Amino acid sequence: MNGTHAMLTHLPVGFWVLATLMILVGAFLSGRLAEISRAALLPVLVLSLLGGLAAIIIGFLVWPMEANLASPLTRNHILMALWSLGIFSMITVLVWKAGDAAFEGNRRWALVILALTGGLMFSSAGTLGGHLAGASTAFSDVLGLMGWDVYTTFYSPFWVIAVMVLIGIALGALGLMNQRKAG
Amino acid sequence: MARQNKGTGPWLAFGVPIALGLAWVTQGTGVVENDLERNIYIPDELTMPLQVQAAYNDERIFFRYRWPAEQAHVYHDMLRYEDGEWIRHGSSMPGPNPDGTYEDRVAMLVDDGGVPDFGRYGGYITVGDQMRFFSDSASPAEVAEHPYLGQEKGKSDVRKYLPDTRTDRGDWRSVADADVLAAQREAGYFLDLWHWRAGRSNPIGVSDDQWVGEYRNSDAGSGPYTTNWDSESDRPRWMLDPEKTGQRALRWEDVTSGEVDFDGIYYLSEDNRTDFDPDHDWQNGDVIPRRLLRQPEGSRGSIAVQGQARWEDGYWDVTLVRDLDTGSPLDDKILADQGVYDIGIAVYRNATGSRWHYVSLPYTLGLGRQADLQATAFAGSAPDWDDEWFDMTLFYPGQVDWPLLVSRAHAGAPDIAEGTPVQARHSEKQLALYGVEMEFREAITSRWWMTLIAGLIAMLGTTLALLPSFRSIRQGDRS
Repeated sequence: MNGTHAMLTHLPVGFWVLATLMILVGAFLSGRLAEISRAALLPVLVLSLLGGLAAIIIGFLVWPMEANLASPLTRNHILMALWSLGIFSMITVLVWKAGDAAFEGNRRWALVILALTGGLMFSSAGTLGGHLAGASTAFSDVLGLMGWDVYTTFYSPFWVIAVMVLIGIALGALGLMNQRKAG
Repeated sequence: MARQNKGTGPWLAFGVPIALGLAWVTQGTGVVENDLERNIYIPDELTMPLQVQAAYNDERIFFRYRWPAEQAHVYHDMLRYEDGEWIRHGSSMPGPNPDGTYEDRVAMLVDDGGVPDFGRYGGYITVGDQMRFFSDSASPAEVAEHPYLGQEKGKSDVRKYLPDTRTDRGDWRSVADADVLAAQREAGYFLDLWHWRAGRSNPIGVSDDQWVGEYRNSDAGSGPYTTNWDSESDRPRWMLDPEKTGQRALRWEDVTSGEVDFDGIYYLSEDNRTDFDPDHDWQNGDVIPRRLLRQPEGSRGSIAVQGQARWEDGYWDVTLVRDLDTGSPLDDKILADQGVYDIGIAVYRNATGSRWHYVSLPYTLGLGRQADLQATAFAGSAPDWDDEWFDMTLFYPGQVDWPLLVSRAHAGAPDIAEGTPVQARHSEKQLALYGVEMEFREAITSRWWMTLIAGLIAMLGTTLALLPSFRSIRQGDRS
């Protein structure tokens, strides 16, 4: 199952890298390449989610759940993988909702912000997967320079968890109000 | 809609990097803290260096250890006189002794291949179920009632033991039958334990000699110390002999000063003791060691200090020596030229004891053969120590026991079953960090779940906030 998971993870990681590049090209460049990037983004994102879901489901079968939850590396891998999936799900929904106009106005910057944040997440998930497979990368050292030793579990103090939830609730409420106003 | 596109709506996307960024910069905080009630104390430094050399001649083998320590802790288990009572300072406790009255130590496990897992996993295999000073340690009452450990051996805690000395590796109670234990020992299924103590053996130039089988046992004979306490009278049995030492007791301010005069009187031994004088005008702050040092006898006295083991300029420098063949194959691992052996070394410093030590991964020791640590053959009575040091990194192991490592809760359990050595998958630093996290396993797992879900909630909320700005633009809106 470990090998299958490693094989499947190429799909979301590859598609997420491609989607991030397409967002950057679509946001910063003009011309044919930028047009193609904008036009082809949604299918790439949909494929990335399908690949991500498959890789994550198979990933949970590599080791017993007790082992997944007991290992700092595995916990971190799961967290970063699910956050990556979450962020690229956001992008997918937004691009799907906006259609051809996803890159118009300031929208493009929202996509860029989310794609870069997601890029850090899936890069972290990937290097953690490498650790678990016995092949670590120098990117772990980069994460260390950013204040996180990947051998320690990524968890936050209560007040930060509360702030994160409040951000979600506040922005969610704002969004719902704006949707009602807009009819 | 055009107004929204050009407005602030899309910038709400910053909600995600802000939420996750906040999580990032604060990650790893809010859980790990000392909790002495649960036997939890996390040392400030999780790893430390150790330098080792080994040499042998036709008869004896020498090990030299050198490690950094802020100060020497040579006082251990002291009795302080206070208002008519002798108060004990220095019994085993979680973390460092606040008075500094806990001795520095170096301990070395040695095997000759009789315990194959030791060569692959080192001291981890000796950490069994519900060990003493673990958060889930077995109660003294339960151990005392155990037919073998309690009633036959008189023990009240669970100490190091080898996995196959239990019929159920996950249960310390399941001690194998006596004939099985005896057969295992005959077959070499035990670990030799060299155990140098700065307070309870070093002052008289010896080391303790023990072995690990179904328990951390002492070799046959008598050890380098005995207890200086008369429980019937609630007072020491012996005190310093004033005719030999010019004093009857030490002073508490000297004991706790952090300074040691290795050439002075800082211990009680057969050579400087006399019977305790209850009629003496004892003063508050008088201190008498609760341990009387004596020359060990029998197999337990096989290991001596070569020269003088001293702390100087921030480093301990200790050399131990033993016969290659002690003549006690049931207590010691017999060593020989052209042999390769497995060793694991632990150091205690900063006035800590029991499980608050720094341990090494297993290394091979070669006598004339290739190994991690090469013992140098020499002629004469003492080595010159001209060779390079062998550098080890020791680490704080936390609360990780062998039953856990071979269970479904350890992703590496199949690797262990296949015999993959620990070094192939883990570094010392990694093991130290894991060891600490295991002490807070439930709290960290719970907090990790919360962090994961909170991040997803922030993403969901941000998505809802962004959706009005990402509405599809109908025909006519584009103008």
